[in-house]
Amino acid sequence: MYAAVTLLGVSLSIFVILRILPGDPLVAILGVEGHARMTPADRVRIMADLGLSDPLPVQYVRWLGDIAAGRLGKSFFRGDTVAELITHRGPISAEIGVLALFVSWIVGLPVGILSAFKPNSVPDGLARMLSILFIAIPGFWLGMLIVLALLFWFGYKSPFIIVHVWEDPWTNFQMVVGPGVVLGLAQGAYIARMSRSCLLEVISEDFVRTARAKGLREGLVVMRHALPNALLPVITISGVLLGFVLGGSVAVEQAFGVPGLGRALVIAVIERDIIVVQNLVLLYAVIFVVVNVLVDLSYAWLDPRIRYS
Amino acid sequence: MRAVLWEIVRFARRNRLAAAGGLVGFAIILVALTAPWLAPRDPLKADFRRMNKPPDAQSLLGTDQVGRDTLSRVIYGARTSLFVAFSAVILGTTVGSLWGVACGYLRGRFDLYSQRIMEILQSFPDLILAMAISMAIGTGLPAVIFAIAITRIPFGGRVIRSVALSVREMPYVEAGRASGASALRIMALHVLPQCVAPYLVLATTHLGVAIVIEAALGFLGVGVPPPTPTWGNMLADSITALVPPWWLAFFPGLAITITVLAFNLFGDGIRDTLDPRLSPAFLRLMTGGRRA
Repeated sequence: MYAAVTLLGVSLSIFVILRILPGDPLVAILGVEGHARMTPADRVRIMADLGLSDPLPVQYVRWLGDIAAGRLGKSFFRGDTVAELITHRGPISAEIGVLALFVSWIVGLPVGILSAFKPNSVPDGLARMLSILFIAIPGFWLGMLIVLALLFWFGYKSPFIIVHVWEDPWTNFQMVVGPGVVLGLAQGAYIARMSRSCLLEVISEDFVRTARAKGLREGLVVMRHALPNALLPVITISGVLLGFVLGGSVAVEQAFGVPGLGRALVIAVIERDIIVVQNLVLLYAVIFVVVNVLVDLSYAWLDPRIRYS
Repeated sequence: MRAVLWEIVRFARRNRLAAAGGLVGFAIILVALTAPWLAPRDPLKADFRRMNKPPDAQSLLGTDQVGRDTLSRVIYGARTSLFVAFSAVILGTTVGSLWGVACGYLRGRFDLYSQRIMEILQSFPDLILAMAISMAIGTGLPAVIFAIAITRIPFGGRVIRSVALSVREMPYVEAGRASGASALRIMALHVLPQCVAPYLVLATTHLGVAIVIEAALGFLGVGVPPPTPTWGNMLADSITALVPPWWLAFFPGLAITITVLAFNLFGDGIRDTLDPRLSPAFLRLMTGGRRA
């Protein structure tokens, strides 16, 4: 319920940011020179064509109606519709996101567990150093270096024309693996950190002492008793980290030259293609909010003490 | 003065890594401040006789496509990047914190609506919100600072609000109320001082994030406009080449990484010292995981 209100607020703030702040949208689209070169009649015609001459509240409501009806409008400069953009490029970005999530858990959780097993040991110190390092390295820079190294030493360049997974899985994999792993490692660092500190917190609790006292093996104590109780915050942070993935993927896609949705957004922002920016930003925010609602709902499923009325 | 020094020595002994981070961070700030004296060349001056030169004795970190000295540009880049990051974090965290104090102390409907607004702000991935805002208000230094600052507001708001919520129940605040002090007076004189420690923790932990967002904006071509040297702009310049020279891609990114690493380590240490309660709970709070 709150999520629906939040989303409405999100759409309203996107609209406010993109329509009210810049003043004349035509100047934004055409640039000052282009705007000055047009006759007033042209300006009025284009404004009417774009539906930009109506009062703002009318425009806002019409935008919401359009979205509800699935009409996402089209690019001012390129003629492809936003819906095409999403169906064509979206899957690539979605694959990158899912891959990043997968990598982050498959790397982060074992490292966190290993760290918590023997806190302040050498492997723990190493793991913590690495996670601090990976949090600090900007993903897009790491991506650039990887692309450069592959090009330099192997003359390899990943494919840059969109190939979907159902067309050619191998080529498609080459496109998404770089961004996915780079984004995944950065998040994996957060997950390792979080799972370590949560596990350590849980391990000092009474029921863990009891489990140890009744003679369970240490591995069983951690995996069976401690871990499930430490996972909740880790899942939360994973949901929040999706914001890093969504935002970060925009830059990382650029670094790898992957033509995903993030690239489309960047191009639209640079070209000041308001309709595209508006709808893509909304899409990113919707995904972010929906995933975090799912995370909240998963609490109730994972932790029987939590019940939502 | 001696007491302050002693305090710093104690901090350094207990948090070696944090102290190292602080030292490196301080050195980078110094570099940024003294850039005109440190940089061997003018960062904007093109030299067409020395284009795309790999690192050598004349230009230690090589030159770019129009012959500008990479080392000088990295040094000047520290200026822009740090200026943007510091301004944005101070602006965003301060606005967020003051807002948070008001929310936590006043509660009621004001708090309710404010929380919704912050939730909305947090519904955008940071970088995407910053991109949209800087696109709307035009690219330029103030626009970038403003855009990044806005993304920092909800963090300050949430954390400081929770501090204010607990402080308002303290007996001395109640005493203030009982003796007829106005809400504004209590907030300014009694609640606000309690928020200084968490404010500092927040500000230092967000410096690194702000630097990365600024670099990413520059990298995507929507940040501080060229030819101003920023680390992000330099990275963006380097990939326009068909085969980017490695030194152009490597050094600006290294500068970002070292700076972010230094500030993060320092921030972690500050957090452990000033407010150990915040550590894991802080992350959870940051995540807003407890709404529903």
